[in-house]
Amino acid sequence: MLLETGKLVALLTISLLTGSGTDSLAAENSDGSDATLLQYFSERIEPVLKAECYQCHSKDANKIEGGLRLDSGLGILRGGDSGPAIVPGKPDESLLLQALRHQNSLQMPPNRDPLPNQVIADFIRWIEKGAMDPRHVEPELAETDDPKNHWAFQPLSSPALPGSQNPADVRNPVDAFVLARLEQEAWKQAPAVDRAAWIRRVAMDLIGLPLEPAQVQTFLQDASPQAYEKVVDQLLDSAHFGERQAQHWLDVIRYAETEGFEYDTHLPGAWQFRDYVIDSMNRDKPFDQFITEQIAGDELDANNTEYQTASIFHRLGPVRRNAGNPELALSRNEVLTERTDVIGTAILGLSIGCARCHNHKLEPISQKDYYCLQAYFAATDENNLTLASPAQQDAWQKSTEDVRAHQARLREQARVAAGPERSQLEKEAEELESRRPEPLPQIPGTRNNFLNQTAIHILHRGVWEQKGERVGPRPLSILVGAHVPELPLDVENPRTLLAKWLTAADNPLTARVIVNRVWQQHFGLGIVSTPNDFGTRGGVPSHPELLDWLASYLIKNRWQLKSVHRLIVLSETYRQGCDSAHVSDATISDPENRLLWHFPRRRLTAEQLRDAMLMVSGRLNRAAGGPGIMTPVDPELVQLLYKPAQWQVPADSSNNDRRSIYLIAKRNLRLPFMEVFDAPTLMSSCARRESSTHAPQALELLNGSFSNSMAHSLAARLRMIAGSDSERLTDSGFSLVLGRMPNAAEKELSIRFLAEQPLEEFALALFNLNDFLYVP
Amino acid sequence: MLSDACCGFGGLAMASLLRANQSDAGMQNSLAERSCHWPAKAKSVIFLFMAGGPSHLETFDPKPLLNELHGHKRPAEFGEAKYQQIQGDTTILGTKRRFRKHGESGIEVSDLFPHTAKCIDDIAVIRSMYGDMVVHSAAQYELFSGRLNPGFPSMGSWLVYGLGVESQSMPAYVVMPDPVGALEAGQPMYMQGFLPAAFQPTVFRSGNRPVLNLALPTGVSQEGRRRTLDLIHELNTATIRPGDQEFQARLNSYDLAFRMQMSAPDILNLSKETKDTLALYGADREPTRDYGQRCLLARKLVESGVRFVCVVSGGGPGAMQWDAHADIEENHLRKAGETDMPIAGLLTDLKRRGLLDETLVVWGGEFGRSPEAQSANGRDHHNLGFSMWMAGGGIRGGCVVGATDAIGLRAIERPCHFRDLHATILHQMGLNQHLLTYPHQGRNERLTFLEGKVIEEIV
Repeated sequence: MLLETGKLVALLTISLLTGSGTDSLAAENSDGSDATLLQYFSERIEPVLKAECYQCHSKDANKIEGGLRLDSGLGILRGGDSGPAIVPGKPDESLLLQALRHQNSLQMPPNRDPLPNQVIADFIRWIEKGAMDPRHVEPELAETDDPKNHWAFQPLSSPALPGSQNPADVRNPVDAFVLARLEQEAWKQAPAVDRAAWIRRVAMDLIGLPLEPAQVQTFLQDASPQAYEKVVDQLLDSAHFGERQAQHWLDVIRYAETEGFEYDTHLPGAWQFRDYVIDSMNRDKPFDQFITEQIAGDELDANNTEYQTASIFHRLGPVRRNAGNPELALSRNEVLTERTDVIGTAILGLSIGCARCHNHKLEPISQKDYYCLQAYFAATDENNLTLASPAQQDAWQKSTEDVRAHQARLREQARVAAGPERSQLEKEAEELESRRPEPLPQIPGTRNNFLNQTAIHILHRGVWEQKGERVGPRPLSILVGAHVPELPLDVENPRTLLAKWLTAADNPLTARVIVNRVWQQHFGLGIVSTPNDFGTRGGVPSHPELLDWLASYLIKNRWQLKSVHRLIVLSETYRQGCDSAHVSDATISDPENRLLWHFPRRRLTAEQLRDAMLMVSGRLNRAAGGPGIMTPVDPELVQLLYKPAQWQVPADSSNNDRRSIYLIAKRNLRLPFMEVFDAPTLMSSCARRESSTHAPQALELLNGSFSNSMAHSLAARLRMIAGSDSERLTDSGFSLVLGRMPNAAEKELSIRFLAEQPLEEFALALFNLNDFLYVP
Repeated sequence: MLSDACCGFGGLAMASLLRANQSDAGMQNSLAERSCHWPAKAKSVIFLFMAGGPSHLETFDPKPLLNELHGHKRPAEFGEAKYQQIQGDTTILGTKRRFRKHGESGIEVSDLFPHTAKCIDDIAVIRSMYGDMVVHSAAQYELFSGRLNPGFPSMGSWLVYGLGVESQSMPAYVVMPDPVGALEAGQPMYMQGFLPAAFQPTVFRSGNRPVLNLALPTGVSQEGRRRTLDLIHELNTATIRPGDQEFQARLNSYDLAFRMQMSAPDILNLSKETKDTLALYGADREPTRDYGQRCLLARKLVESGVRFVCVVSGGGPGAMQWDAHADIEENHLRKAGETDMPIAGLLTDLKRRGLLDETLVVWGGEFGRSPEAQSANGRDHHNLGFSMWMAGGGIRGGCVVGATDAIGLRAIERPCHFRDLHATILHQMGLNQHLLTYPHQGRNERLTFLEGKVIEEIV
């Protein structure tokens, strides 16, 4: 399955067309249909290109002459160093034809007589007819004739709620849309899950933790019609809600507290951004306000600590600070690239990064658009705001001086030493790093520095040295029209203006993109399956009206996301079981369950898994906030760091049992436990967690120090609850860990096991069960 | 889930949303063995990574003119080059190394590598490598992933993604770092980037427990753990519906984990190797002991079906890598002394076991070194022309590809980019660089970025 679907479809299309049996050679008396033209190409043009040109103008050439490739349709159109090889419809203006005719000092094939007249005539006719070239049939593009008509660029519609044949099944508007679509296929939804499974599902989704058995019991016995609502409202009000929801936003904006690359320098105070996101989620801060603060917090109010904290946003990408990187302008260019691209992926859901080097081949985004967007950041600069008093700063300065002087002496000695002696000295100097005092509290924020603003040019092929036209800030032309002028280069508060455009009522992307992310959080797959890519190459919405309805609903509810969460998790659609046996043809025609004819079972994320293990074993430390936590890890892993002294585990171990979101997000050292369960790499935006299955996961859960430590604590907790009675131990174990009681067979197996094996091993086994690792 | 991602379901139109069954491959183990795009010549790769950048001028690319020009400015006709540290004011540094023709092929190898030189008829030397960056970290990322920034999958991860796992008892992709210390590009250079975690490397630790989590926790017996595994198996089996491939894959992953636990210790244990074998690799003496042991382990790993093994020479401070800024003589004599015999031992051992045909061995660093002197006797980084070599795995031995100019400044004949190296490795492993793609941020990413050219002369 390594073929891209697009290519596969393209290949199939071609083979169907060429096999269509029309009189292929009769271009003169052809009907001009695409099929005939394609056939003409494959019989008259392609063989000549292959025989005469590919040797120097294809991917197989030793050196691609003049940068021109003739073995792909895009290659021909894009052309080489001298420009496009053909102008469809205009043979005389096509360089390829001039070369075939040996005109204008062009000569192809080189140093030979021109090709036969008949061949040249074929090329003329082919170009006249539009130069149909099946080698660049891109089905996705072909469907959207004009990218302006692409669905995602259209204004939000206000669809009416569809009616259903079974109004009783419609609990809320979400169901109305989903059921209407299912009814088109004559499919039904899966029967609802039992209450125990539902509460486990909704708790894992909203707060990322299982509930205590007592809370589950209350719900199971609550006969009131509002029982479900009560649970949802409690969860939405829980302080743990933000801890779960923040993680997804942090994934999307590739949040990390270190700069990556070789030094992986820690950015002191970056963790405050994580707490800011958690807090914003908990307070249900309107999403438009939320992104405005991140993009332009410092411009909104430079004295507002919360806004300054939000502006750490621009500091979170990887930053190359390696020694001897001689080009400051290169580094600046990389930083600007990071800051621009994340706006595209995270907020607009567009992979604008491709337009950095060339007009986007697949999206209606020009290189100019890209650099106009970047121009909003021309003056954006780092701004480390100290939170310490002058006296504290003085004291800090003093205490670091000694260490620094010592380091300097060692490094001087190292400079003149050689071989192992030199390394030893360098190592000693490095180790002193840990003796430096803790950095003073600061906010690694952002400001505008207009005196030192970067002139933003269109860069040829994205290379910083190859500057083209200078540009000013302007939104993407596909969304506002090309006629909108650029803003002046010194416009005040440029990022506030950017945020205004992003959150404007007529921006068709921002609201759609975020409600789609929320939907994906609950159903595993978005209404648009490519949450970072709403462009013409991205996924087509499975329920376009629902997407627009939800986006409008969000805006109507003052951009408050909790309203959307609430609507979704209280729907009948969300209450379905995972069972997929009720519609047999759906298994075949919609294996991905895009139409939601059952609830999609999902494996816990790395964070959910770790947090749930802490929770059920009674170890979870619920403290919130604070600097990223470094826990004890295998010393060899630390040794893999270029600066091992960076990993400082505090003596106080109580923080080791905090929720995973409070663990340090360090680009060059991720915990093996998190890594093995598909935690993101922190290098680029992660729109959706992967869920892979492989043996190292089993080894981690069986032999890893974390899971064994948790198993011991769980065993101790079970003993407290159930003493030594195997049956009670089994019941408690199942209800604590899996959120349900064991069935008869499970009970029998467990009791038999406990008769001979230690309780710790039983606890460990529970952590390895599908019903623990998967949301029901 | 994986196959979802592979197919880039994002590209599906609504019309094809309700299409014929494609999910059979869907929920299987991410690491199941997959078929190649064309018949493979090699089954495994051993990458002998000489970290820090070994000099081509002292190893595989003899330049007599250097000694003639020693102490002089670089003649203008060779053009400009940007180094990392040395600036304009420097002169050409001659070499003290002697080159001699070896084997039937008569390829010149320096006296740093007397053992490897004996295997030269199995080796294809590429004298015209070049990369885009002159600093370690970026060059290391490019060497491993084809890209200058971290976050992209390394070649090892791409291979496992493309081919799956052959081994039933070992991880598919193993990195053995130099125990001396870390490298500039850090762990991200070896990682799977945006590929699923199934394709991550297993980084071996030094000492006698190289694989994390392979050993049972203290106090747990083998038999006791077997019972626990049985309980897990029985309870999990009870909740599986027929045809549930994802849960079936989970069951299989526990079986594989158990097999790894049982057989890996044997593979990792070198104490049962014969004296002769240990001596062949220099694994029984200093200064070759460490690298020799790791090369021997690499052979055992590929023998057991591991796809990609990276054996790193060099780590920690620059002087402990091949990063000879200060004294090229001292540094390279030491580093070659540690690695020459182990590498020759590896090639010899693979060959006598009939494994060399199916094992592609690659040697090299992230760049070469400058023709000019740094701090009198050292050489700076240099990325415009340097040497790497390949052997085994269907590579034509005893040949030289490409050439640098007369002072080894620039690859002028048949320049080979890292992308070309990657394309060649994929090619030998039976993979088409254009078909081995993974959708990421709106682009179908591949190891070779746009494309690399297979080095046809040596395949």
